[in-house]
Amino acid sequence: MEFKIIGQISEIETIAKGREIRSLVRLRKFYATGKWKKKKGIATVRLMDGTIRRAEVHWYEAHGIGKKEIKIKLPFLD
Amino acid sequence: MASVKKKSKSSSLSSIKPARKRTFRYAICVNNDGYPASLERGKLYSVIPDRSAAAHGYLRIVDESGEDYAYAAQRFFGVTIPRNLAIVLTNSRPAPSVR
Repeated sequence: MEFKIIGQISEIETIAKGREIRSLVRLRKFYATGKWKKKKGIATVRLMDGTIRRAEVHWYEAHGIGKKEIKIKLPFLD
Repeated sequence: MASVKKKSKSSSLSSIKPARKRTFRYAICVNNDGYPASLERGKLYSVIPDRSAAAHGYLRIVDESGEDYAYAAQRFFGVTIPRNLAIVLTNSRPAPSVR
């Protein structure tokens, strides 16, 4: 992974569910069928070069599958 | 006998201008490990110029979700496309997705 989350993700919100998710077909293809949600939160991340930044992160999640494809939403928050 | 004028060449390295780093507006994904739903290997993606991201080794890519995220620059191969193609791609691009 190109970054590491330090600590907990805070201010977690669901931003899309099921068919609202544009990548739903791909999620089901590569992972599993399930009730997928797209979520966002705020996290402290350690980047590839070792820098620590505060960023909004997005990911996909389904019950029994867990978090998948955590990504950094730019711009950084700090 | 004709005299040959020699241009004086500075041998100083400071006179050599460093090559400009190219900013690509499009890039092909060559590695989608860990992101099979968000990126497709071999596919062309739009790059949003972002100096802050680039400073840390990332590219700001509009991925399969329609949103832009930071991905490691090594996952992509920057390409230059013909201007006419860029215009067509820009005009045919769907409206940015909120999700």
